[in-house]
Amino acid sequence: MFRDTTFTDVSRADAMPDASAEFVMDEETFRGFYERNARGLWAYLARVTGDREQADDLLQETFYRFLRAAATYESESHRRNSLYRIATNLAHDARRRRQTRAPLIDAGADVENVSARDQAGATERGAELKQALGHLKPRERAMLWLAYAEGASHEEIASAMGMRVASLKPMLFRARHKLAELLGRKAEGRKA
Amino acid sequence: MKPVECPYEAEVLAAVLEARWPEHVDATLREHAASCALCAEVAAVAGAMSAALEPTRACAALPDANQVWWRAQLRARREAVEAAGRPITAIQLVAFACAVGLLGACFGATSTWFQAALKKVAANVASFDGTAFLTAMTTLFAEHGVLVLGLVAVIFLVPTAVYVALGRD
Repeated sequence: MFRDTTFTDVSRADAMPDASAEFVMDEETFRGFYERNARGLWAYLARVTGDREQADDLLQETFYRFLRAAATYESESHRRNSLYRIATNLAHDARRRRQTRAPLIDAGADVENVSARDQAGATERGAELKQALGHLKPRERAMLWLAYAEGASHEEIASAMGMRVASLKPMLFRARHKLAELLGRKAEGRKA
Repeated sequence: MKPVECPYEAEVLAAVLEARWPEHVDATLREHAASCALCAEVAAVAGAMSAALEPTRACAALPDANQVWWRAQLRARREAVEAAGRPITAIQLVAFACAVGLLGACFGATSTWFQAALKKVAANVASFDGTAFLTAMTTLFAEHGVLVLGLVAVIFLVPTAVYVALGRD
């Protein structure tokens, strides 16, 4: 991981040729692309993994793999879809690794707790969403977040999730229905 | 079949994401959403999720783009060094295996007790009685059939169960 980098590595690496020649874009283009997408991608990873620190690590890993990918991109949205696809796969792998070590108890808890701590006026609705999302599968959280928080199209979500649009639609419908029911139950509980 | 999509969904979603919902949209769209379960769901879910977007984004403590670029470059260089070193390691491994093999051959050719042990093993293999083995296995299966079946089932079922459990979303 990036955090293991030492000064010895830096001096050793400085003696070597420029490695960025193998990257899919130059530094200037990358900077713009990163500024436009990093925050949204972090939010996505934080919501899907439910772990702020893991989202930090996966963000850097995602951008690194994106830069090293042997691909040519036709447009900004193509690049973005590819970035989210890498992030989705990494989050999936991280979850599998974590499952083998310890079961995931409440996905989204860490992000929401931090959010609640950081923002004194965290709304009751936000807390309800946190609880409801905790009942969904990571894949459902991912597609719902892309669709209804980021406003991504079905094609974009399908591309990020690595599935066909035809398969996505019923899955998205079921996930949305599940979340709506959970939110509805919470709202009814609040009223009662 | 129960419908999974409504033609007005996209309009409702756009209104929610643009913070126009419900006050700043057509009365007809509002009325439709009140009577359409799918659009009501879209409004509820998109409303909750889009409201959570900014607070979540605000939580991000992002590293600077230059820092990410620099680290990526560093890592790419390190990986290039590792990749360049890999064939040497492979050759070293092959050489080590050859040396061990050669030593083993020398030992086998010169050691008398090792040769005697080899001959004993060869004699045992030659005198192996397949019919007697088969009879013994049949007897074992007849006496402990349930146990054997149980063991076989566990050997196949446990890995399958673990795979299914871990593979499930």
